[in-house]
Amino acid sequence: MNRMNKMTVMQSIVWPLLLWPCLQTVSIPLDCREDQGGVNRCPSISQEKLLDRVIQHAELIYRVSEESCSLFEEMFIPFELQLQRNQAGYACITKALPIPSSRSEIQQISDKWLLHSVLMLVQSWIEPLVYLQTSLNLYDAAPDTLLNKTKWVSEKLISLEQGVVVLIKKMLDEGLLTTNSEQGLFHNNAQPEMLESVMRDYTSLSCFKKDAHKMETFLKLLKCRQTDKYNCA
Amino acid sequence: MGCGAMMKSVMEVLLLLMLFFTAHAKEKSYSPPEKPTQTRCRSPEKETFTCWWEPGSDGGLPTTYALYYRKENSETVYECPDYHTAGENSCFFNKNDTSIWVNYNISVVATNALGRAFSDPVDIDVVYIVEPNPPEKLTVAVMEDKGWPFLLVSWEPPHKADTRSGWITLIYELRVRLEEEEDDWEMHHAGQQKMFNIFSLRSGGEYLVEVRCKPDHGFWSEWSSTSYVKVPDYFHREKSMWILVAVFSAFIFLILTWLLHMNSHSLKHCILPPVPGPKIKGFDNKLLKNGNSDEIFSALVVPNFPPASSSKYEEMLVEYLEVYVPEEPELMLEESKDLLDGCHKSENSRSDSDSGRGSCDSHTLLMDKCGETKEEERQTNRESSLMETQGWKEEAINHDTSGKVKTWPSVYSPLPQYGSNPLDKQSSLETAKQHSLSTSPFLTQPGTKDALGPSYTDFCLSNKENHLHPQTLAHRELQTRSDVNISNIGCKRSSATEYVEVQRVNKEDMVLLQPVVSRCGHIEGFPNLPKGEDYSKVKGVDCDNRLLLQREGTGEDVCPCVDQETNGEGGNCYTSSTVSTTQKPTACMYTAMPLQEETALTLNGYVDTATMGNLPSC
Repeated sequence: MNRMNKMTVMQSIVWPLLLWPCLQTVSIPLDCREDQGGVNRCPSISQEKLLDRVIQHAELIYRVSEESCSLFEEMFIPFELQLQRNQAGYACITKALPIPSSRSEIQQISDKWLLHSVLMLVQSWIEPLVYLQTSLNLYDAAPDTLLNKTKWVSEKLISLEQGVVVLIKKMLDEGLLTTNSEQGLFHNNAQPEMLESVMRDYTSLSCFKKDAHKMETFLKLLKCRQTDKYNCA
Repeated sequence: MGCGAMMKSVMEVLLLLMLFFTAHAKEKSYSPPEKPTQTRCRSPEKETFTCWWEPGSDGGLPTTYALYYRKENSETVYECPDYHTAGENSCFFNKNDTSIWVNYNISVVATNALGRAFSDPVDIDVVYIVEPNPPEKLTVAVMEDKGWPFLLVSWEPPHKADTRSGWITLIYELRVRLEEEEDDWEMHHAGQQKMFNIFSLRSGGEYLVEVRCKPDHGFWSEWSSTSYVKVPDYFHREKSMWILVAVFSAFIFLILTWLLHMNSHSLKHCILPPVPGPKIKGFDNKLLKNGNSDEIFSALVVPNFPPASSSKYEEMLVEYLEVYVPEEPELMLEESKDLLDGCHKSENSRSDSDSGRGSCDSHTLLMDKCGETKEEERQTNRESSLMETQGWKEEAINHDTSGKVKTWPSVYSPLPQYGSNPLDKQSSLETAKQHSLSTSPFLTQPGTKDALGPSYTDFCLSNKENHLHPQTLAHRELQTRSDVNISNIGCKRSSATEYVEVQRVNKEDMVLLQPVVSRCGHIEGFPNLPKGEDYSKVKGVDCDNRLLLQREGTGEDVCPCVDQETNGEGGNCYTSSTVSTTQKPTACMYTAMPLQEETALTLNGYVDTATMGNLPSC
């Protein structure tokens, strides 16, 4: 217990401090164009720094989503069902996404694919989080901390998306991807059996938590691939 | 033989019975196995994982345990692929069987001849159960930094954890303690780095160092194996400094002791002052014992006291008190009610008050007059008070409007009814003010500040003073109590009262008085001054606590006053009387008035001897 407490305390202090510059960074408008003859109006940021900040963003998102999930679990899920998430057959929204599930597979994925996977994940969760937020607001006993956390996460997810788009542009020299294609994902996978909104929201939260972890892992892998001087060893 | 056979059969029976009973007993404990409990599942590197369980009671029969699992969203049930790698009651999932970000639903089944028991299922996701192995290759070395030693600790991540590719990010923590202090660990957080410096070491101490790690989302590993290190002694720096400090303090201490010793006597006096015994200055106890009284008391005698020479008279402060009572009772104005009270009192008491009150306070003067004019006094008193606050100008107006005198009573108040000269009126006003200020610090006198003691004073007025600011005068008047004295001047003088002036103080310490003879004529208002009575007017008080009396003139406004007080017009010396006094060359600057020798001491005059000593100081 002591370890956990220390860990949470340290995390709650360290992560916001780490992310403070990140938040400032991500607010830079993304439509900066480097005109050939003109002056670059936007402050440029190095790729390493951008990647670092995106990673920090993802880490924080994961941490907050983990806290939200455990909060929700404590309050609304009876103990018996906590360990049986799979029993009811609830599936994650993003299960259709082709995400590899073992290290060896993931090691073989290219950088480009990693980035795109991350972007896909981020984009596919923007709307469901909004939906989740409205659903949580309907609860009688939802604590404010939970609502605030989910709200914060959905906001930061959008920032993360912007960061990843810029990263893609820098690293892969690709243009901006459209975000409309992922909208259908949510509706296609709506489970008709989920009658209880509580279970649905719980599933939603845990699935998001997992996907946040995926994003973070991919980004860290990406970072350590970039250069040896990152001291990933 | 029969016994042997019988014994055998009995034995067999017994054995059978025993078997039966044991069998029976076994049968009672036979039961299906108890539900096993799953304790934990752990993955050391996020690539494989192991699950352990705790068996319940086996029910007396051999029991087998099996682990079954299902992956999320799949109904296929698999059995544990490896029961042995991780030890007993465990299941090891290797890399091929491990999928991350996938929920495993695991349950353990215990089976024996009589039945089976299922454990509670557990959902796990491999990424959440990562507990790495402890860090490896921990090395500790003693380094030196400018004479101060420190420990350089370094280690490596567990070989199984793939930190190289960023698959796992580990953070480290180490702890240090002295060998003799058990359980007193000093924790250090090292972040993601793989080396650390420990400072503030005890010289010659033996230290134990351990390190552990944790993935960014996961559990802390176990502590690594302990590393021992001994810090060499590094005496010199620390000790030499303390030696220096000690020597220095000892030195200072010695000096202080020596100083104390030298000054012990005076210190003793400082701290414990001796209690003075009774002692009279100049009085020698020994002489007393010897018994010659003359010698003894000669020391007590102050030489040259009292002053015998006549020249001392001038230095003595003699105050001449004179109250001139005008005829008209309306002239009597009082500054305060105190005078009335004093009038009342004076009838009863015979003691002179030293408060500068008016003549009514005196038991010798103006008693009857005070009684007569009480009513008017009250009236005029009020009026005068009002007047004062309103200003002098109004007073002047009042003068014109009413015949009553509403100015300050003065010995020589130039009252309108006494004079028709408007200039006189003005000047009379000024005079009145001036008179009222007689006992207050005289404005024109240099240096005088405080109010004079009770005294009845007259003083000269010059035209220059007419220009004095009336307001200030008014204020001063309000403040002076001695003005009350003047107010008493309102008391009409009767022929029964006489005024006495102090002639001199003779050798026997007697005050010689003489009646006051008015010389300086002006005061138009006081023609009824009885002759033969002399008054000396106090002009003011100078810095040396001396009354400045006016030089007496003879029937004219001859006031040998200082220039401030006289003017070309012959000095508006409104004196009711002049004193035939000898005058010093410095005009009006005499305090004592040695009179002519033929003047006699009159006892029916009023002399406020009490005021002799109460002259003001600058």
